[in-house]
Amino acid sequence: MSLSCIIVEDLQVAANYLRNCCEKSGQVEVRGHFVNVTDALSFLNSNTVDLIFLDVEMPGANGFELLDQIAFSPKVILTTAKSEYAYNAFQYNVSDYLMKPFTYQRFMEALQKIQPSKETISTNSASDHIYIKTDGKLIRLNNDAILFIESMGDYVKFVTVDGKKFITHNTIKNLEEKVSKQYFLKVHRSYIVNLHKIDDMRENLLFIKGNEIPVSKANKADVFRRLNIV
Amino acid sequence: MNNLKTANTFVFNTEFDTNYLFSLYGDDYNYLQEVFNTVLSDYQSLTDNIEYSYSSGNLTALRSSVHKIKPVFGFVGLTVVQEHCQQFEKICTTVNSPDQLAGDFETLKNKIFQSKQLIEEEKKKLELFNSNCS
Repeated sequence: MSLSCIIVEDLQVAANYLRNCCEKSGQVEVRGHFVNVTDALSFLNSNTVDLIFLDVEMPGANGFELLDQIAFSPKVILTTAKSEYAYNAFQYNVSDYLMKPFTYQRFMEALQKIQPSKETISTNSASDHIYIKTDGKLIRLNNDAILFIESMGDYVKFVTVDGKKFITHNTIKNLEEKVSKQYFLKVHRSYIVNLHKIDDMRENLLFIKGNEIPVSKANKADVFRRLNIV
Repeated sequence: MNNLKTANTFVFNTEFDTNYLFSLYGDDYNYLQEVFNTVLSDYQSLTDNIEYSYSSGNLTALRSSVHKIKPVFGFVGLTVVQEHCQQFEKICTTVNSPDQLAGDFETLKNKIFQSKQLIEEEKKKLELFNSNCS
């Protein structure tokens, strides 16, 4: 077993099928099945898992509301009967999207999407700089020179220590996997910050050289883990 | 999903999409029997929700309850009914109140009722088939 997961699904036949797929794969340990967000949240308040198989439309709160409330960032595979959630899925960095019912082969493809990202991260984590393409040229930015990166739709803005701003065509989701994990952390779906540059933190805000950066509930625990709190 | 039968001899009613079922379960008819059992256990509450949302005039709840039962038909291979639910969901987004889709609702209700009978019959056949194989 390499991944722990929970299933959040109110349709029993779908939950049973998913559990069978997990067992058959030999790669996923199912630590619980919950039929609503409240029960799942109660479990996740005192447990962490690598992966959540998440239905969207359930009685009470919907699946995305669960993601808003948990204090860590597990991988998420949506299991739904509807394709209208693609935009939200993107916003919440969902790894894949399984339309019920799905075949075992499709299930395994979704699992494959989760495993490789760890390699990508380690490959890039040692680098002390990045190159960005802006104004028709490649510019080298040392990690030390970057304060934070902010999403601007299909573009991102790099803000540097000398007050410069570089805008380039990219996404926070893509950059999260490419920047050095020693320096950078995603603190919100629209922000990656240089951990070495944080001046202070109050409630759900980080302050970096006078810039106010929001911290999402989902990323707050990661921030605390990475700060050198004594 | 691992107990394979020696021969793929179970013959489904033609209403069921055999190829689709095979893509989901292979020839594991014991597991398929479990699926039919689970579906039938939940059937009443799923259909009650549909009836209740329609009679209470709640269009959002009606669409949501049909959306909820939709994959159930996929799991038992009634892909035509699954598609019918999909169409009904779409119709729900084009009207302002359940009254405007009375005809469509009646058709859907009949299909759902007939599907239950089909699933029950097929479950009985599966039980017999599996007991003969064991």
